[in-house]
Amino acid sequence: MKKLIATTFLAAMAAGSLRAQDQTKVAFPNPGQPRKLVVDSMMGSVTVRGYDGQEVIIETSGGRSPARKRTSEPPPGMHRIGSNGGDVNITTQDNTIRINGNILSGPANMTIQVPVQTSVTVKTLSGKELLIENINGEIEANNMNGNVQIVNVSGSVVAHSMNGKVTASLNTVMPDKAMSFSSFNGDVDVTLPGGVKANVKLKTDRGDMFTDFDIKLDPTSPPTVTADKNAKKTRVRSDRSTTGSINGGGPEIQFTSYNGDIVIHKK
Amino acid sequence: MNDNALMQEVAGGQIGQLAILFERHHRSLFRYFVSMQRDRQVAEDLVQDVFFRMLRYRASYDSAQSFTGWMYQIARNAFMDHTRKKRDVVDIDEFADRRPEFASKQPGPEETVVRKQDLGLLQRALDMLPTEKREVLVLSRLQGMKHDEIAIVLGCEVGTVKVRVFRAVKALEQIYTGLEQERQENVS
Amino acid sequence: MKCEEAKLLLADYWAQTLRDQDEMELEAHFATCPACREETVRLESMWKGLAALPPEEPDSKMRSRFYESLGAYRLGAESRAKKWWPLSPALQIAASFAILALGLAGGYALRTDNTSDQVAQLREEVTGMRQLVALSLLQQQSASERLRGVGYAFRAEPSNTEVLAALVSAINNDASVNVRLAAVDALHTFSGSPSTRQAVMEALPKQNVPLVQVALIDLLVDFKDRQARPELRRLASDESVNDGVKQRALWALETLQ
Repeated sequence: MKKLIATTFLAAMAAGSLRAQDQTKVAFPNPGQPRKLVVDSMMGSVTVRGYDGQEVIIETSGGRSPARKRTSEPPPGMHRIGSNGGDVNITTQDNTIRINGNILSGPANMTIQVPVQTSVTVKTLSGKELLIENINGEIEANNMNGNVQIVNVSGSVVAHSMNGKVTASLNTVMPDKAMSFSSFNGDVDVTLPGGVKANVKLKTDRGDMFTDFDIKLDPTSPPTVTADKNAKKTRVRSDRSTTGSINGGGPEIQFTSYNGDIVIHKK
Repeated sequence: MNDNALMQEVAGGQIGQLAILFERHHRSLFRYFVSMQRDRQVAEDLVQDVFFRMLRYRASYDSAQSFTGWMYQIARNAFMDHTRKKRDVVDIDEFADRRPEFASKQPGPEETVVRKQDLGLLQRALDMLPTEKREVLVLSRLQGMKHDEIAIVLGCEVGTVKVRVFRAVKALEQIYTGLEQERQENVS
Repeated sequence: MKCEEAKLLLADYWAQTLRDQDEMELEAHFATCPACREETVRLESMWKGLAALPPEEPDSKMRSRFYESLGAYRLGAESRAKKWWPLSPALQIAASFAILALGLAGGYALRTDNTSDQVAQLREEVTGMRQLVALSLLQQQSASERLRGVGYAFRAEPSNTEVLAALVSAINNDASVNVRLAAVDALHTFSGSPSTRQAVMEALPKQNVPLVQVALIDLLVDFKDRQARPELRRLASDESVNDGVKQRALWALETLQ
């Protein structure tokens, strides 16, 4: 099932493929070096979870289900590229493992387990849920039509969803890393450690902004601020970008939504 | 190796030597900038700025000149550029807000200060001094620079520096006394 | 000694750089002038108190920031040097002399009293440094690093076309929507130049991410760029464009009337 293609001896590169409802393990070539996982899944939900191990364990399920089979028939005048539509391609280079989903395979859900200390970049086009948890590293997440949920992580996060909600909760923040959270139609809900030092930039056009952090707003962008005593949170409202600092300032963190609310919780 | 020799090496293309200069001086530069405008974040940016400027301007470094004097000349320019940009933005209240509160500890017997002094009050008085008076005190007292070095930084005569130091201390004392009276009136 | 003369000696007295002769005369004056003595005691307590002020310590991250920037600078300097450093030894020697001459001229400039020139020159140098760091960070693999690169670009001088080009390229091509958004934000600082307006106008039809489209529209409104109206009209009537973006384009058209 798993085949290795030998390439030049300069670039350590492994390629494998697997079918739907399959499990595959891939090891990082240099376990001691910084590890990176890159997932590009066209369809289907993706979960990336840190675990106490050294390999990457990839499980797929639900690809090419009978109900969906009709929709993946080739359109008139076109033919399918490749014989097994449920394939996921895995390549390894420079201690980065790349997993690419196949758009023609129909929605396949993926669960990927990785060592906790791994940087993770995931992009999905129409996954319902994109979940990343128990990770310590740099995280980049982009889910076009579904939610992005990032739980129990440390390091830095750059996350976007067009139509879904972006939720992120960080235990510790890597000093010096810029972060950004954005959604067009959904809420942006971020939990940061109470002691985080950051310069923040907030903008939502149609939504509201809430926080229980003591954000010191810059004098250059004075929006109207009213304390909502019932909610025990400060309500910030502005038509333009609002900038300010938390705990004296630090690396920049940007929060952006168009139709949704922005909520920043203190952990 | 002394600062001048290191900076000469940097000027000669050994850019890595700047790291040693950074290690030696970034703390005192940081203190200078915090004393000048209280915002720690801005102070950090300005310190980075100074080392950037040293690097970009390294070819013009004159090794016959005091390195410290040259460095503070650059620091001063960096600060002036910053205030030019910020002038319209930061008001007095904002400035006062930024000052961290000092725990007003009991003066111990080892403190040979003649008057029982509240360091928090002294810091406030220093912050309230006009910039040019504060600067000369920061350079001469907090940074321990010699009068002739300060003269290079400020671009004036050594005699002028001495007069300015005296006037700055006198102004500081007046503000301090004022603050002290104000506090006593509030208490009683 | 007169009181005025005594006061002129105090700075040296405190700094312990007073000549013995002067110190004796000063102390002799204090012995005969209680007013001066009293004032000096009060002022001296200030002088001593200043030394007891707790020093502000920088955060440890300042060091890592410096080393990172230094590394970026060296990388940039090396790649630049490779670009134009002539290969023939004779030309290299000539180039060294040219650089030496520039260095001497620079040194002379620093010694002159024309501080405004110095300030302008220094400002230019720093801007160059920031640009270099910005450009190098914008090339990084990590989105977080590219965001920082945009942060540096934010503080670059509005006139720099290289940085502008890098930001526009980020808006059009960056893999991360968040980096694109930050890059649009950074263009606010470049608002004065016609080339920026042109770049934003050209970026808008290429953009397919709604959040970035809205940010670009807002930027055009901020620029009060009435020439953007045809493009906004096209956007508002384009079936494939997101409804929220269309509404924003309509709002922008009204605002720019």
